[in-house]
Amino acid sequence: MRSKPISPLKESEESEKTPLSNQPKRRVVTITTLCLAVVAAAFIFLGIDLWDVFMAFPAFGSFFVTRFMPPNLGAIPNNINLIVDTIFFAVAGTGISSVLALACGLLLSEKTNSIAWLRLTVRFTLSILRNVPVLVWASLLIFIFGIGSIVGLIAIIFATLGFLARSYAESMSEVAGEKIEALRAVGASKAQMIFHGILPEFIPAWVNWTLFTFEINLRASAILGMVGAGGIGIVIQSNLRLFRYHNALALIATLTAMILLTEFLTNRLRGKVK
Amino acid sequence: MGKALLSIKNLRKSYDKFEALRGIDIEFNEGEFVVMIGSSGAGKSTFIRCINRMIDPSDGEIVFSDGVHMEKLRGAALRRKRAQIGMIFQHYNLIGRVNVIKNVMHGQLGQVPFWRSLLGLYPEAEKRRAVELLEEVGLSEQIFKRADALSGGQMQRVGICRAVMQNPKLLLADEPIASLDPKSSEIVMDCLKRITKQRGLCCIVNLHQVDFAKKYADRIIGVKAGKIVLDGSPDALTDEIVRYIYSGEQTTVEEAQEKPVPSSGRRSAAHA
Repeated sequence: MRSKPISPLKESEESEKTPLSNQPKRRVVTITTLCLAVVAAAFIFLGIDLWDVFMAFPAFGSFFVTRFMPPNLGAIPNNINLIVDTIFFAVAGTGISSVLALACGLLLSEKTNSIAWLRLTVRFTLSILRNVPVLVWASLLIFIFGIGSIVGLIAIIFATLGFLARSYAESMSEVAGEKIEALRAVGASKAQMIFHGILPEFIPAWVNWTLFTFEINLRASAILGMVGAGGIGIVIQSNLRLFRYHNALALIATLTAMILLTEFLTNRLRGKVK
Repeated sequence: MGKALLSIKNLRKSYDKFEALRGIDIEFNEGEFVVMIGSSGAGKSTFIRCINRMIDPSDGEIVFSDGVHMEKLRGAALRRKRAQIGMIFQHYNLIGRVNVIKNVMHGQLGQVPFWRSLLGLYPEAEKRRAVELLEEVGLSEQIFKRADALSGGQMQRVGICRAVMQNPKLLLADEPIASLDPKSSEIVMDCLKRITKQRGLCCIVNLHQVDFAKKYADRIIGVKAGKIVLDGSPDALTDEIVRYIYSGEQTTVEEAQEKPVPSSGRRSAAHA
C-alpha cells in the first residue's frame, strides 16, 4: 500500500490559510442555548403549557366562525364617526408630539445642545414619559380629566413624545458632523448651523419617524377607547361585553381596513421624501 | 511675492501622547498658491485646521497681518475671524438637500445676522455675486439643482464658490481632489488656481498627488511626522525628496535631520 506523501510545505501552507470565520462555534451554541433556556424558564414560571395553547386554537377558530361571522355591516354607519375620531386622535396626537419632540430633540442631541445639565434633565424627563405605557397614562389621566377624548389625546402625546424626541435627536446627531463642520468654518452661529445645516438634512428622518409613530398611535388610539379615553374602542368593548359579536366584528374589520389604508398611504409618502 | 499675510510660530498640537504638530514656524504671503504634501498622518490636515481653529492648537502663535492672534480668539470674535478664512473640504461638505445657490450663500452666514439668513434676506449684490461665481466655474445650469444631485467635481466647485463667497484673503483646502477622478481633479484645481489668482488670495492646499502639486503650486511645503521638511519652489521637489517625504513612518525627524536632503528655495528639508 502506498503511503500518503508527506509534504511539510503543504502542511504549513494549510495552517497559514486565512480562516473563513472568526466566530467560535462554541460561543454560538452557548448563546443559543442560553436564549432558549430563558424562554423555557418564562413558560415554566408562568405555568403555561404550550400544548394547551396549541389545542385552544381550534376551539377559538370554531368560536370565531360560529359566533362572530358574518359581520353585521349595519353597525358601521352608526359608528363611522367614532372610527374617524380614532384616526384623528392619532393625527392630532402625532402632530403635537412631533412639534414638541423636535424642540426636545434639539435639546437632547449633543450636536445641537452643548449644555450638559440641560441635556441630562430633558433626557431624564423624557425617559420617564417614554417608559410609562400609553394605557397606563390613559388610566392615570382619567382620574384628572374624567372619561373623554382629551385623555386619549394627552396619553398619546405623553407616550409618543419621549420616543420621538430620542429618535429625532439620534437622527440629528447622525446628519451633523462633516456638513456642520463646513458651516462652522464659515463662521456660522449655533442657530445658523441648526437651521441651515442640520434641519434640512434631518427632514427625511423626521418624516420617517413621524409616520412610523403615527402608525403606532393609530393602533394605540383604538385600544385607548377601551379604558374610556375616546374613540371606537369603547363601542367595540361594549359590543363584546353585550355578546354582540357580529357588530364587534364589523367595527374591528372597518378599523383594520382603515389602518391598512393609512399604512399604505404613509408608505407611499415615505418613499417620496428623500 | 506679496505682503506677509499669516505668520505661524512654534505651532504644536498633541493628541494625548501623540504629537501631530511638533513646532511649526512658517509664513504665508498674499496671493501665493501653496501646496502641502506629506503622507497620511503627517499632520497636514491638523495644521490647516489649526489655522482657522477648527482644531485648537496645544501651543504656538497664529498671527495674521492685521495683528489678530487666532489662537487667542473666543466666541463671537473667533466666528468673525473664521468668516474671513475660506475652507474647502475633501468630502465637499455641502448640504445635500439644499440647492446649489443656497449652498454658495452659506458662505455669507458668518457675515449676516441669524434672522436675515433664516429668511434668506442676503444682500442683493451678494446674491448676484454668487450667481456670477457659479457661472465662472461652469455651473450656471446647476444653480437651482439640489446639491446631492451633482457629480463630485461639480460639488467641489460649489465648495470653492462657497469659500470665495466669504470674501476671504486666505483659502484653506484640505485634500480637495482626494475623492475625485483625474479629469475632475484637474478641472477643480484649474478652477481653484484661477479663482485665487484673479482675486489675489493666498491659498494653502493639502494634496497627495505630487504631480498636481508640481503643476499648480507656487510654493511647496513637505510635511513629515508633524514637522516641515521642505519649503521651496516646485523645482525643489525632486524624486529623492518625494521618496523621503513619503518614506515609512519609522523615520523620525531626528533621523531625517541626520540625512542630507537636497535644499532649494526658501528652506531646506528638515530645517524646521
